[in-house]
Amino acid sequence: MSTGSVVVPVPDETTRRTLPALTATSGLLRLEMRRSVMLWMLPLVATLFWFITYRPSMAYPPLWNVRAMSMQTTALSVFAPTVVGAAAWLGWRERRHGMTDLLIGTARPRWSRQLATWAATTCWAIVAYLGCGGVLYGVTAWQGAWGGPLWWPAVVGVVSMPAFAALGFAAGVLRPSRFTAPLVAIGVFLALQISLQFIHGDDSYWQISPLVAGPWEIGPDTGVATFYRYLPDLPIAQVLFLAGLTAALLGTLGLPGDAGGRRLRRCAAVVTAAGLLTTTTAVALAGTGRLDAHGMIAIPLLHDEGDDRPLRYTPVCNHTPIPVCLHPASAGYLPSVTAALEPVLTELAGLPGAPVRISQAAARYEQGPDNRVSISRAGPPTSGTPQVFHLLLPHQTATAEFVAELRVDALQSIVNSVVGGGRNASPAQQAVTEAILGTSTLAPGSPAAAAAQRLAALPAAARHAWLVEHVAALRAGQLTLEQLP
Amino acid sequence: MTGGETRHRPYVVAPGGAMRAALRLARLHLDSRRVPAALAVVAACAVGLRVALRWQWEAYGALQLPLIFETGCAVAIAVTATSLLGEPERVTGRWLPLLRLSTTLALTVAAVGALAVAGAGAHLAGGTVEVLRNLAGLVGIGLLCAALLGGAQAWAGPTTYLVISLYALYTQWHGPALTTPWLWPARPPYDLGAAVCAALVFSAGVALIAVRGARDTGPETARSG
Repeated sequence: MSTGSVVVPVPDETTRRTLPALTATSGLLRLEMRRSVMLWMLPLVATLFWFITYRPSMAYPPLWNVRAMSMQTTALSVFAPTVVGAAAWLGWRERRHGMTDLLIGTARPRWSRQLATWAATTCWAIVAYLGCGGVLYGVTAWQGAWGGPLWWPAVVGVVSMPAFAALGFAAGVLRPSRFTAPLVAIGVFLALQISLQFIHGDDSYWQISPLVAGPWEIGPDTGVATFYRYLPDLPIAQVLFLAGLTAALLGTLGLPGDAGGRRLRRCAAVVTAAGLLTTTTAVALAGTGRLDAHGMIAIPLLHDEGDDRPLRYTPVCNHTPIPVCLHPASAGYLPSVTAALEPVLTELAGLPGAPVRISQAAARYEQGPDNRVSISRAGPPTSGTPQVFHLLLPHQTATAEFVAELRVDALQSIVNSVVGGGRNASPAQQAVTEAILGTSTLAPGSPAAAAAQRLAALPAAARHAWLVEHVAALRAGQLTLEQLP
Repeated sequence: MTGGETRHRPYVVAPGGAMRAALRLARLHLDSRRVPAALAVVAACAVGLRVALRWQWEAYGALQLPLIFETGCAVAIAVTATSLLGEPERVTGRWLPLLRLSTTLALTVAAVGALAVAGAGAHLAGGTVEVLRNLAGLVGIGLLCAALLGGAQAWAGPTTYLVISLYALYTQWHGPALTTPWLWPARPPYDLGAAVCAALVFSAGVALIAVRGARDTGPETARSG
């Protein structure tokens, strides 16, 4: 039998001090998590998230930009009052139970006990947010959304949780009353909603509100972060603001004399000052924002030029006589676009001046006075030889409005490029355009309207044959109404 | 005293004593419910609304602002349902249901009056009728929550309802619109169905609180200041 001894490593001085402290802290946190009122708020938050965020998001097409950006706004509207209210409720727990004096004698300083309660509330809030957001992102990925998830809106949401919890908790500690939790919950909600009303222009300081996921008046737009990357400039400023706010609020709790020892209070003062500085810096940064041409808020000091490069993609095309090619993120719109354009494209295919392909164009955004933003096609409507027509998809997500807007904008431009004329079109050109588009914009009973009706009554093949023969003369403005069939 | 004899002193009520006793009971009841603080909150909400109405708001903002202040008043009324005394108070006499009922009604009337005065002469979306309907319904929700969850947690109901209602208002611009009368803040002021729903909820809440009081949640109740 061997008599070899077991060597037990002797912990050094630092480990001997740190280990029990960590164990005690984690034990306290576990205890707080079990006792947190936020746990009971989770079903409420999940139900609200489903009703206000998930359900409307599923009505949108599976686009990461639209769903992620709308989630940032609506989910935070749901989480803000509940997390703030729960944290405020926990903030005055010691006072409510009449334990303030009793707990002075415990080994832990007051500030550290408070931080454990705040941390537990924050943990549950983050778990709830990640759970709800995870389901939304998971379903969006499962529905085949193109590209990758937008993480920045989710990051802003997650970082908002500690800030909301700190806000409510500080209010509960500093103003302990049965009215504190409800009033601070509604007050924060009011402040968040009102702050949005003060956003005027792209350089508004109020954009720092975590509810803002992009240029406020555009909202979640299908054209944003599709051809170009989602700019993290504003989210970075918002994260800085929220982190600073959290630090400042938590630091304030450590300042009173009974919060802990002198060293601890000094540390709290430093944390508060750093938090205030960060918050102010973030607000100032948000005020330097500008709407870039791709529809996002760029902040010069935080901007990375690499984010301005267009994303690579392989377009998705249909099989109409003139193929229509869309960005893969908009592939869901292809059936609607095909249904709207196909009859006219079939008629125009092969004619001189007709495009050989229709390709989706990126949108160009421009800030107007106040909150007005103009959205137009980036670049010319046609380019190259043979000609490619650049199509700007309408902003509408409802199918009927989408198709109607396509007919008005895109088809008019395509037919004009074949028939010619534009704004100074001759009566014959107007009549042919009207007949092809099937619209009735000409004065009823006028010779042009009568000619358009005659031409529209012809079978599509006969009209196409006539166009092949006469389109050159028509484009040159040499045909009169009497010469139309 | 050594024997088993008991001497009863005749109970004499001084002139005007009954009235003084009733007033004292009412004052103690109001104090125990923190009614003065609730009235201060109501007044603060009215002032807040008045200040807010001085600005120009877009249509959605003009509709959501009064609702938020109405919710502020409703939660203040709902949390007054909590008793400082808890269980022992329930056996003290037959006046308690009446006191609860009158306190709730008086606070609701005071809140409607304060908000109506705040909106007088300004463009208050929906007018006083909408304030009355929305506030009554929200108070009803708060009182129902107080009866089920406890007075201190009663705020969760109206706050949740506020978030849902604001979403319902939002859907009036970005459809499909939610038109159920149970979401009365999203309905026009003279919508009968919405008024009936709000009245039903208010009646149920007031009746439940008057008869049963807020749910007693033990030490949480006893020390909620």
